[in-house]
Amino acid sequence: MSNNSIISNLINICGEKNVSNDASVLEAYSSDMSYVEAKAPLCVAWPSNAKKIEEIVKLANKLYFSIIPISSSAGPRLHGDTIPQKDNCVVLDLSRMKKLLKLDKKNRVMMIEPGVTFGDIIPTLEKKGLKLNIPLHPRASKSVLASTLEREPVTIPRHMWDSSDPLLCTEVIFGTGDLFRTGTAGGPGTIKQQEKAGIAQLNPMGPTQFSPYRVIQGAQGSMGVVTWATIKLEMKPTIQKVYHLQSDDLQELLDFHHDLIKYRLCDELLILNNLNLACLLKQTPQEINNLAKELKKWNLIYVLAGRGKLANDKLEYLMGDIADIMEEQGLDPSKEKEIINDTNILRVLRQPDTDSWRMRLKGGHQDIFFLSNFERIPEFVSIMESQNSYDLGVYIQALNLGTSHHCEFNIYYNPNNAEESKHLKENFLKTCTKLMDAGAFFNRPYGPWAKEAYERHSASTQSALKKVKKIFDPNNVLNPGVLCFDD
Amino acid sequence: MVLEEDTFKEFEKAVGVGNVNDGEVITDAYAYNWCMEMFNYMDGKEPLPYSSRPKAVILPSSTEEVQKVVKLCNKYGIQVKAQSTGLGPWNCVSSNNSIVVDLRRMNKIVKIDEKNLYCVVEPYVSGAQLQAEIMKYGLNCHMPGAGPQVSPLASATSMNGPGFTSPSTGHSSRNVLGVEWVLPDGEIMRLGSWGMKNNPDWFNGDGPGPSLRGIMRGWAGAKSGLGIFTRVAVKLFPYPCSTDFELSGHSPNYDFKIPDFMRLYVMDCKNFKRLDEIIIQVEKEEISFMCSYLSGLAVMAIFANSFEQMMELMAVGGMKAPLVVIIAARTKREFEYKQKVMDYILEKNKLANIIGKQYTPYPVFYAEALRSNLGLHGFIATGGFQSTLGQCDTAKMCLNSATLNVPAKQLFIKKGAVANDFGEGVWMTSYESGHYFHAESPTMFDQTNKHSVKGTAQYFERSNEIGLVKHLGAPFFVEGDRWHDMFGPHMHNYHLWLRKIKEAFDPNNIADGGFYITPGKDKKGALKK
Repeated sequence: MSNNSIISNLINICGEKNVSNDASVLEAYSSDMSYVEAKAPLCVAWPSNAKKIEEIVKLANKLYFSIIPISSSAGPRLHGDTIPQKDNCVVLDLSRMKKLLKLDKKNRVMMIEPGVTFGDIIPTLEKKGLKLNIPLHPRASKSVLASTLEREPVTIPRHMWDSSDPLLCTEVIFGTGDLFRTGTAGGPGTIKQQEKAGIAQLNPMGPTQFSPYRVIQGAQGSMGVVTWATIKLEMKPTIQKVYHLQSDDLQELLDFHHDLIKYRLCDELLILNNLNLACLLKQTPQEINNLAKELKKWNLIYVLAGRGKLANDKLEYLMGDIADIMEEQGLDPSKEKEIINDTNILRVLRQPDTDSWRMRLKGGHQDIFFLSNFERIPEFVSIMESQNSYDLGVYIQALNLGTSHHCEFNIYYNPNNAEESKHLKENFLKTCTKLMDAGAFFNRPYGPWAKEAYERHSASTQSALKKVKKIFDPNNVLNPGVLCFDD
Repeated sequence: MVLEEDTFKEFEKAVGVGNVNDGEVITDAYAYNWCMEMFNYMDGKEPLPYSSRPKAVILPSSTEEVQKVVKLCNKYGIQVKAQSTGLGPWNCVSSNNSIVVDLRRMNKIVKIDEKNLYCVVEPYVSGAQLQAEIMKYGLNCHMPGAGPQVSPLASATSMNGPGFTSPSTGHSSRNVLGVEWVLPDGEIMRLGSWGMKNNPDWFNGDGPGPSLRGIMRGWAGAKSGLGIFTRVAVKLFPYPCSTDFELSGHSPNYDFKIPDFMRLYVMDCKNFKRLDEIIIQVEKEEISFMCSYLSGLAVMAIFANSFEQMMELMAVGGMKAPLVVIIAARTKREFEYKQKVMDYILEKNKLANIIGKQYTPYPVFYAEALRSNLGLHGFIATGGFQSTLGQCDTAKMCLNSATLNVPAKQLFIKKGAVANDFGEGVWMTSYESGHYFHAESPTMFDQTNKHSVKGTAQYFERSNEIGLVKHLGAPFFVEGDRWHDMFGPHMHNYHLWLRKIKEAFDPNNIADGGFYITPGKDKKGALKK
């Protein structure tokens, strides 16, 4: 089937205005900040609903073209997972599907389409007295649904009861073109009938004896195209107090951090090095460097929050209990001098970023991130520091009730400096594989990480994943080339 | 000898002499289980408490031995059913071509990881054993409603997972981290970070990439229909109060020193509408260790050790919509704060806590709450017990489900098949500070009486059908081909996807799918539209 025929079929489904193969349009989808080789898609289509997506996926199976789903309205895109790796790739841009389908305060849940961004939703939730457990200062144009599907780390570990949170139920079009609903959304009955029975699509598990949402999550769009999802929400606090502890000894902060998560004493909880905290709070390179110099190397941030009539009582009990822990650990909070203020910290913890805070220092960054257990975090920091000659940001985030830790290293560089860029590119993968060899768990293996991560993982995992892929996308029409599905 | 002599010897070589038995005394014992009679009747068989007789019972002691056994099953075309602590018919074989793999020799707590807040257990570790060890570190585990005597591994990987402490310890399925799993073809799969070749560890069970936990289980587990789990890492939680545990006396009349910073509230919300509002108010405050709605009769049962004791509690049983909350705290400050919140909610909603005023439970109740032992009180009235319903989503849906179930249950009460709880017997618990709820209807019946067993089975079927036609979600016991083929067409044909998974991972149909799904039953091929 010719390319023209594919495009004309897509126009029949989406309408002429919603399909483009204009070179200037395609360029934006051809490359990103990663080291994945640039390649232009055949065209871009902007479907407006699940029915059209279903038709397109069926068409892809019939005409043998590939589909790359994209949800965020604007970049920068970072990981290479949406760059075509095969010919005849159609980008399915879902960013125009922007409906907030349901906001249910009583049950602390919302139902959103893929195009709803952090910039769209955070103000709406705030007005309703709700909040979402969000990644660290996410880009305003970033799709909330894509972020949850990618298992991006969130900043309140005590509200992350499972590694899949805050994602709950989904509506998905599998690679076969079949529409499916996961969790309690699976039925019986339509969503309206379920709502009449009192169901709010809160339970992500199932239907019955499997949980397909877990294989859609982390799949980089290679198992199904999600057309809406329900997302878990929390009540918005009415008062909050920010704490900032500094040390030159990472272990000292980690030990205290451990007790905060063990006893679930705080909301947001994270550790940043001085450079990353400065990047978050300041705008210009000079301001960033000045603040970084003022700060000690390691910075623990945590937020205590209370709500309603007894909010102050809650804060009092939390402060008292935390003071006892600090005393036991020989920490003295009174020694901390206030360098940054609560408002600025809360802004970066609760609000979306209009651009990307990681771009402010040098205009470019390459990120390395993986999961670690608690004890090995300092070891991975040492490996990274020994391998790196660039400005290095570090972000450590406890996840999943403190059972694992996201370790993120942001390598800041000037993309206009050819020599610097070349050197970084040559060494980037080597550094990653060194970390993998040491036992860093690259559980979200993007681009060239995938091959390396699966080589270092038991063969049975890869074999099982291929069986799953064969079930849900037997013709490999969804995002071919990612993960381990192309030998 | 039921197995061919050569086959027997090969199994014996795999697990050691003395660890394979196909004699009738042993195999008959493994054919018996609680509630088997009811499930037999639902399958159109005589309501006897026995399954088919397994061909043999095999006791492996390690993952590698389990693998050898499964490979031999593939070689000889014999099906395999695994069991850990073995409670319920799900542990019994569904055909006479199946062996039982009893995992009782795999009984170690492999690791207690205080820093990363998880432990790793083998199949035959009980919740009670685990809790006794992790208390030493100030930690607690989630235990299913089935009680502390059952296997946390089985609950996490293969069974259901609600528990009385679910508001603070979640659901078994969502507490899973690394997993070690012998697939039906004999391959060993290690999920997440435990599958790494370099420095494997148990702290995460997802990826790289998609999480195979989605294939492993759903709201319900696959009940060994998709392989055998030999080790699992599950999350641990802070112990809710002081770990002092001073118990004296003799069963069942133990005395117990109630630990510091623990308080029980039982309040009558009067009707379901108010109950729905109030339970959510409590849970949004994130203060409860336990937060359940129990029907009046169920409240009587959790405070009683005998039928006679239960009858003495009629005044308690008269409550229309009792909400049972336990708050527990690590420190005096935390305890005072939580009590203030409860006082505020009580005052705001004009509720009264009957505890200490109208009724004071025996102190051992608190020990049982900490040990998650309350579910076993369901057996007091008749000696036989099973739950219907089991859907999970909002409190409102759960209470709708409970209401719609009453006439069905009353019908079988009138027939004299199930014990009279006015049709209202329900336990509903919150999960994860009220982010979702599930409700089930504990039903007491006489397992030794054919009329009672048949009536209870008929009531179960009716109750499941109500879930389907009223769009309340899939109940607990939608498992096995018949139920999947009934519910699947109304639920996006999920049964066809589940069947594809079974076929892909178990090409020789070796894992006994009697309580899961079996391949090839639906001959229609392509997914129905």
